[in-house]
Amino acid sequence: MVAIHQVLPVFAPRDAIGNHTVEIRRALHARGITSEIIAGEINPGAAQGARTVREIGRRRLPGDGPTWLLYHASTGSPVAEWFAERPEGKLIDYHNISPPDVFGAWEPHVGVELEHGRRQLAELADITDWALADSTFNQRELNGLGYRRTAVVPILIDTAAFGHDVDAKTVTRLRRAKQTDGGADWLFVSRILPHKAHHDVIKAFAAYRRAYDPSARLHLIGAVGSARYADALTDFVDDLDLSDSVVLAGSVSAGDLEAYFQVADVYVSLSDHEGFAVPLLEAMAHDLPVVAYSCAAVPETAGTGALLLDDKPPTVVAAAVHRVLTDERLRRALVASGREQLSAFALPRSVARLSAVIDDIIASFDGGASK
Amino acid sequence: MALTEPLDFARLNAEINEEVRRRRAAGDFPPGLERELDSLFARYAPATTGADFDEVVERAERTSFMHADVPTASNQRVLVYVKRGLRSLMAWYVRFLAQQVTAFAGAITRSVRLLGHRVDRLETVTIVAAERSLSEVKQRRAGADLSQWSAVVTNAMAGVTGRVLHAECGEGELLAHLVADGRDAYGVEPSEPLAMAAARAGLDVRADDLLAHLRAVPDGALAGAVLSGAVDCLPLGSLLELADLVTAKTGPGAVVVVLSVGPGAWARALDPIVSDLAPGRPLHPETWCHLLATRGWDPALVHPTANPTQALAPVPAGTPGAEVINANVERLNRLLYSSPAYAVTARRA
Repeated sequence: MVAIHQVLPVFAPRDAIGNHTVEIRRALHARGITSEIIAGEINPGAAQGARTVREIGRRRLPGDGPTWLLYHASTGSPVAEWFAERPEGKLIDYHNISPPDVFGAWEPHVGVELEHGRRQLAELADITDWALADSTFNQRELNGLGYRRTAVVPILIDTAAFGHDVDAKTVTRLRRAKQTDGGADWLFVSRILPHKAHHDVIKAFAAYRRAYDPSARLHLIGAVGSARYADALTDFVDDLDLSDSVVLAGSVSAGDLEAYFQVADVYVSLSDHEGFAVPLLEAMAHDLPVVAYSCAAVPETAGTGALLLDDKPPTVVAAAVHRVLTDERLRRALVASGREQLSAFALPRSVARLSAVIDDIIASFDGGASK
Repeated sequence: MALTEPLDFARLNAEINEEVRRRRAAGDFPPGLERELDSLFARYAPATTGADFDEVVERAERTSFMHADVPTASNQRVLVYVKRGLRSLMAWYVRFLAQQVTAFAGAITRSVRLLGHRVDRLETVTIVAAERSLSEVKQRRAGADLSQWSAVVTNAMAGVTGRVLHAECGEGELLAHLVADGRDAYGVEPSEPLAMAAARAGLDVRADDLLAHLRAVPDGALAGAVLSGAVDCLPLGSLLELADLVTAKTGPGAVVVVLSVGPGAWARALDPIVSDLAPGRPLHPETWCHLLATRGWDPALVHPTANPTQALAPVPAGTPGAEVINANVERLNRLLYSSPAYAVTARRA
């Protein structure tokens, strides 16, 4: 029986890669393929059934036929070295590694880790049988590093599951603010990291309030990935005298997140680097018009479901958001296109794509993968 | 817009840019707004992301001390004791290394500091002097009259699709011609009053330093550039950087037009205070052609015609010695009455 075990540095709950890993395991099991999840660290609350790299050590993994390990690459980790030394066949699922130079100044140790990750990824090219990528943007990077056989398989996300379990209290609180003060609600969901460019969203929001809507609010949702960057954002917001209208909400519960999506009027992403960008799809699933800076894999994920900007001067972003919020026909057209784009990433389609790639991997088996 | 109709994003983006221009004209987006927001955030960005030498060195100095006492905290109580034990056992070794590394880092940062002082002194007589004199020039600067070049510039830019930059655009007369001709043009103007005047006329103009603006533009983002003003007074090193930047920031098929008063007219074409204080002088047109050609452009030179009302008339053909006389008349006309101002137009392969 074929076995494909997944390996990742950290297995975390409510994390795009964690959810993707669980969906892959489900899809592999449905095909009768043996599959376990092995992680360097398993965070509390992550799905059951995962084992740590320490537990496995040098032991043999389940499977009595061709066996592969599928490593999820997204940062530098000693787990990659463990993966490289294992006797099984090697597969990579590349979720992109952020450019280290953006972190260097803010969080030097993270920059070092990312640089390490890029070096590891390059070193794994020679010993990897197949490499999967979330997007053609990521695939191009893999091809550039010398990976021989690559395929695009989007992140497996259950787009139909977006929109459940709303926290009614949060909805009420957000709606009350809207009724009392009026104004539009901007939303951006991402970990607080320098390359996600929250500061650019704040600049655009400041320009928007100045020219169009002095009552508007901006909600920035996401865990703090860089404390220095988060502090800088807070000071920046204070200096702009926007403390009452810009909320850095941090990491929120699924119910709260749902509430923010339900109450928001527009989703604005000005991130400088995205290997896929799941929140864009979440916004589309909530019928939110999306305004986004067109970079990296964003055009591919957003398609025609977002108003994409080639550049992001605050004035242009502000005018774009104003246009989306005041031109009802445009808003409806964007929402409709967003729905269409979302269907391209529906779970059954992505699972079918994964399945086809798995067929190719098995068909290309020449005895090189470990038995 | 029916739901079935595909969205015309190019048109939408053009309309958004037009809206920004209108808002600039109305004063909702003042010319310095973007720069103001950038510099406000830059206050909180790490020194190493900025360009301030002293801040970066200070940060290096703060981090140059190596701590020998490694942290011993742990979630597991027993590990705390293990770590403390290890720290005590290894202290002689770690301290020996830490002292050497600290001494080395201290020496390096001190050397950088001393080097900084030397550079400061050098800059006082060179670059800083240039910056100070540029700042004086900026205060005196009036919008140059570029009307004679309208046809040359609009013809050169005909058919160019994509962003066209006019630097330095003054009050934007030439920029207005480009926009009226259908170009997606915007301007950069270092003088805030001139930029404000251009913005009031509904033009998309950024109050910014030309080189600083170009450095921030993504590579290949421009389809065309008109360079005027700065080309007549920037120091030589900055002009070379300008040639490099305009090449890097434009894509294949791009068009560049350099408009200069020319070195021959330097003293008489400009305000005497500007011509005395400017840190640089205009280049000969041949030099611009050379700079552009060596960077992959195909340049052509355009001189304005001589002023016919002042030019010397040639003698009728058939007059004894007419050929020699007329050759000299033409030479005198070129020297005395033709404008030494020139335009260099160039296209990238």
